[in-house]
Amino acid sequence: MIQLDAITKSFLLGKESIHVLNGISLQIEQGEFVAIMGPSGSGKSTLMNIIGCLDKPTEGEYYLGGENVSHYNDKELARVRNQSIGFVFQQFHLLPRLTALKNVELPMIYAGISKKERQARAEEALMKVGLSDRMDHLPNALSGGQKQRVAIARSIVNKPKLILADEPTGALDSKTSMDIMEQFRELNGEGVTVIVVTHESEVAEYANRTIMVRDGVIQSPAAMDRGRLT
Amino acid sequence: MSFMENLSMSLSSLKAHKMRSILTMLGIIIGVGAVIIVVAIGQGGEAMLKSQITGPGNTIEMFYQPSDEEVRSNPNAFQQAPFKQEDIRALEQIPEIKRVVATSTKISSARFQKDTADVSTTGINQAYLQLNQLKVAKGRGFSSADFLGGRRVGLISNKLQEKLFKEENPVGKVIMIANQPIEIIGVLEKPTGLLAFGSMEVFLPFQTWRNIYGSSDFTQVTLQASSAEQLQTAGKKAARLLNNLHNTEKSYQVINMEEIAQGVGQVTKIMTLIIGSIAGISLFVGGIGVMNIMLVSVTERTREIGIRMALGATRGQVLTQFLIESMTLTLIGGVLGIVLGWGTSTIVSFFAGWPSLVSWQVVLSGVLFSMVIGVLFGLLPANKAAKLDPIDSLRYE
Ligand SMILES: Nc1ncnc2c1ncn2[C@@H]1O[C@H](COP(=O)(O)OP(=O)(O)O)[C@@H](O)[C@H]1O
Ligand SMILES: [Mg+2]
Repeated sequence: MIQLDAITKSFLLGKESIHVLNGISLQIEQGEFVAIMGPSGSGKSTLMNIIGCLDKPTEGEYYLGGENVSHYNDKELARVRNQSIGFVFQQFHLLPRLTALKNVELPMIYAGISKKERQARAEEALMKVGLSDRMDHLPNALSGGQKQRVAIARSIVNKPKLILADEPTGALDSKTSMDIMEQFRELNGEGVTVIVVTHESEVAEYANRTIMVRDGVIQSPAAMDRGRLT
Repeated sequence: MSFMENLSMSLSSLKAHKMRSILTMLGIIIGVGAVIIVVAIGQGGEAMLKSQITGPGNTIEMFYQPSDEEVRSNPNAFQQAPFKQEDIRALEQIPEIKRVVATSTKISSARFQKDTADVSTTGINQAYLQLNQLKVAKGRGFSSADFLGGRRVGLISNKLQEKLFKEENPVGKVIMIANQPIEIIGVLEKPTGLLAFGSMEVFLPFQTWRNIYGSSDFTQVTLQASSAEQLQTAGKKAARLLNNLHNTEKSYQVINMEEIAQGVGQVTKIMTLIIGSIAGISLFVGGIGVMNIMLVSVTERTREIGIRMALGATRGQVLTQFLIESMTLTLIGGVLGIVLGWGTSTIVSFFAGWPSLVSWQVVLSGVLFSMVIGVLFGLLPANKAAKLDPIDSLRYE
């Protein structure tokens, strides 16, 4: 479902261009649960942004569901994000002035879904993450774990095939982290592809595959083994 | 994403910063209000001026403007009263003419005991009363007998009463006009209205006036037509008739009221335009206030914009959201401004005695214009929001 061919990404910092991703090739099948690990600054978030169509690669091709999206324009990318991808962030990124329910409705507003259907589907999604009793709460009135569950409900409400979570448990205690990972496991069980960036091996253990990123390149399993040995 | 969706979204974000929204609106409220007040007062004033100039009851004034040749052949042309008794009788025969009001005015001195004053003495024919109501505050008005008998009676203006009689009641007293005794039968009401100013006047039946001054000619003739449509025809016929009778080319003329009314309209329109533009500047300043606050709002909500973009909002949708938000701001301000302008101009016209003229066109253009201001001044902030990079915005603290 996801295919990256020699993706590079560099940023221009003043006159200097820094190369963050240095030729990443990667294939992820529909229904996989993938963990991306690596040291801080290795380029994990940059990679996730490209997979999530929030950013475009400097070079290389990116195929999502068979479509080459590397050359899509802003409007087409917005549509892909809206329809095919669900995002979960470390900082939750809920709109503070909207209730849990209204936050979950947001992606459907941009999908042009009617008010009535929006509400029904948002309620359903919140029920699924176990928050039916918190629908009218503002984010401030929710705990970290609850906020992240609202975010998960928001990410699944347009029924995307792919969910991207960049350090979703980074701001949560370990007990809550496991609850959240259970949610992802459940979604993955329904056939949704899940990619999680994490530092924690307990979190990575939920995945069926772990990809190691270092200095903007993927370390081959062999190299990983070598790394483990030394 | 529907317009209503955007509208309710913008209302809730304006509500989140109530104080700021209201203060921002204030600029628009005052701007729109000021423009409406200026336009309404301008139109009301114009209507009032026009009605004063065209005179009541389909009337038109005749005047005498001798040509250079006539003045050369008759150097006294200007001194003589131009309308003869026969002229009046001839004019009365014109079918379109309902009444001919003829008056003669001379300035002379009036004396009561030791006090004297220069007064304008006007001899009027009976038709005059049909057209100009000489409202009497004290005493009585003229009767038919006064005209037919040429009685030595007169009405004096309020101002003249103040000058000659102070607190004393002048009714029944005799004053000397051009050294001839005249009995005062009444005092006219004080003139009202914005442009009315009191003058020292005496009105006499024309017969009486003729006996005093020894002249049976009229200085002023006003024609009343049977209807407004016939006014210009009546005027033209009258001028032709008199020019024939006096063997002049075009010395007798009528004032073209339409032209004058147009001229007045022109003047008030220009005035309205000038003052209106000054009021428009305050609206412009209000618009800049809106732009300023919207720019602040976009910066504050950078993260919100990033989130919306991550969730699938296109740049166009973000642009629309902020445009509608600034438009909502100015529209509400505009509507409140219309209410303010309407109220104020109604009060002003009430006290000035004008018709209140806030037309639906003015209201509609007020609404549309404030929306346009919202879009215009929202464009820069909305564009700034739409141009944001989603990743940078999500990271924004
Ligand atoms: N927009 C950017 N401009 C310049 N440098 C950037 C930008 N985004 C990321 N970087 C740099 O790229 C490197 C990788 O960042 P990131 O992908 O966030 O790493 P990770 O998520 O693995 O910690 C970092 O050194 C970061 O400073
Ligand atoms: Mg990161």
